[in-house]
Amino acid sequence: MLKKVPLKDAVGSDLAHDITEVRPGEFKGPAFRKGHRVCDEDICRLQRLGKNHLYLIDLENDELHENQAARMLATAIAGEGVTWEDNPKEGKIEMFAQHDGLLRIDMAALGALNMIDEVMCATLHNHTRVRKGELVAATRSIPLVVKREPIERAVAIACQKGAVVEVKAMKKARAGLIITGNEVYHGLIQDGFEPILKKKLTDLDASVETVDFQPDDAERIARAIRNQVDKGFDLLLLTGGMSVDPDDVTRHGIQMAGAEEVHYGAAVLPGAMFLVAYIGETPILGVPACGLHHRATALDLVLPRVLAGERIGKAQLAFLGHGGLCRQCPKCSFPNCAFGKGL
Amino acid sequence: MKTFDHLLEASAEAHGHLCPGQVVGVRMALLGCRLIGLDNPRSIEQIKKLIVYVEMDRCTADAVAFVTGVKLGRRSLKFMDYGIMAATFVNLETQSAFRIISTEEARDLISLYAPEITEKRRQQIVAYRRMPDCVLFNVQKVRVLIEPHDLPGPTRNKATCARCGQVVRDHREIIENGRPLCRPCAQSAYFKSPQAISWSDMNWSPGDEKSTAYHETKPEKRIRKTVTPC
Repeated sequence: MLKKVPLKDAVGSDLAHDITEVRPGEFKGPAFRKGHRVCDEDICRLQRLGKNHLYLIDLENDELHENQAARMLATAIAGEGVTWEDNPKEGKIEMFAQHDGLLRIDMAALGALNMIDEVMCATLHNHTRVRKGELVAATRSIPLVVKREPIERAVAIACQKGAVVEVKAMKKARAGLIITGNEVYHGLIQDGFEPILKKKLTDLDASVETVDFQPDDAERIARAIRNQVDKGFDLLLLTGGMSVDPDDVTRHGIQMAGAEEVHYGAAVLPGAMFLVAYIGETPILGVPACGLHHRATALDLVLPRVLAGERIGKAQLAFLGHGGLCRQCPKCSFPNCAFGKGL
Repeated sequence: MKTFDHLLEASAEAHGHLCPGQVVGVRMALLGCRLIGLDNPRSIEQIKKLIVYVEMDRCTADAVAFVTGVKLGRRSLKFMDYGIMAATFVNLETQSAFRIISTEEARDLISLYAPEITEKRRQQIVAYRRMPDCVLFNVQKVRVLIEPHDLPGPTRNKATCARCGQVVRDHREIIENGRPLCRPCAQSAYFKSPQAISWSDMNWSPGDEKSTAYHETKPEKRIRKTVTPC
């Protein structure tokens, strides 16, 4: 229960909550912390902060202070790879990546939790690559004093599948590259894919174990794939031959190699002709020619997810559509943009 | 209690189709029974301990009744015409009672819980299966005072309408100026202009022998006589 008292009568009482100060462009944070005992010297500053009354709190059995509520919420929301300090500020607890990785948000649980009037949780987008220590989510109760029931309900929702926010570590994968195309194989042009893909993989802590060059010959491509799969690589990337020309046989080669699951086409531009296949548990990513020209394509959206252990299927490629259109900015800021952040 | 899938299949068959309301109703009944401590409400041992108040006449109500085994005629199912997707489960032995309300928020969350499904009805069914109870329902602990004449068992009281002579059971009469009246006489009724009639084959009865289907009864076995409606 909250009791509103005039400022002068609050001298000698303990503050029930942090009091925020905002100095535009300079400072935003707690001017006074919860528990601070109000003294005469504080009165002028509190008045400058627009406070003429303060709340005194007398909690009923079924009520929680916002700080208690925030602790309960953070405990339930934060999962693997997410850390937070038990030091709510202005009633809010921020959560951080415990290590580099890929952010996973249970969007259904997040939506359900936020449908409860008394609580909120805001996160970065699902599938965002994050660095250790990066802010990934924050939560709080909305009222200063909140009933226990909605907080317990939010906790139950958050715990249904373990947690709402996780940072999945990306596997330090051993990858194989197969670069297809008669023009490269026969030396008519120089391959541009190898350095690009090597950089993308090493940026994600993956290593390139071998690079095979193959002509537009489905059988030879299939043999090269089998060979790399047999070597136990965690991931194969194939380039070239992903389009619709008669010489584009890479897809056929992937099928001949024994892929049980082949998904050709992603709802992403650039990257519509991207391919994901699996031989056993080994993912095979087919990179279309756009990967040579654009800094960010479907590959950049899918590769981190594969390395974080997600199995990519038809639905995952389809759901990229919302937010899957690159704005082609003159100066690319990916991944700090909306590309691929729809779901 | 049988599994959710078994109950849903059987409930949908009894109801006539599988629909989102069936999923919600089966889950509502499972939760309600769990909260009042009944694990097999249709069993002989438990069936007399349970009363359920349903607040809507929708698919959900049928599923609740099917799973719990409560019936209008046994007075274990009470219909409260509130138009609210809710039901209250009462354990007569312990007096514990919980009112379970289907949340409106759950409807807004369907596409989040089943994003891979586009067909609306199927998406609702799948989403309502996936949502945790605390998203699908609000629960209130309540007290339900049940008058003796509302309990299952034999008729406890009869009164005769002072206006039309109709017998009214279980204190449903309205006392007006000290006289008992049936509700149609005392208040407006759901029907208008009642008029007694005669009807064709009004002398039919199934008799003592194993009867044939009602509409297959041979005409010669009926004593036909032209009747004129009054």
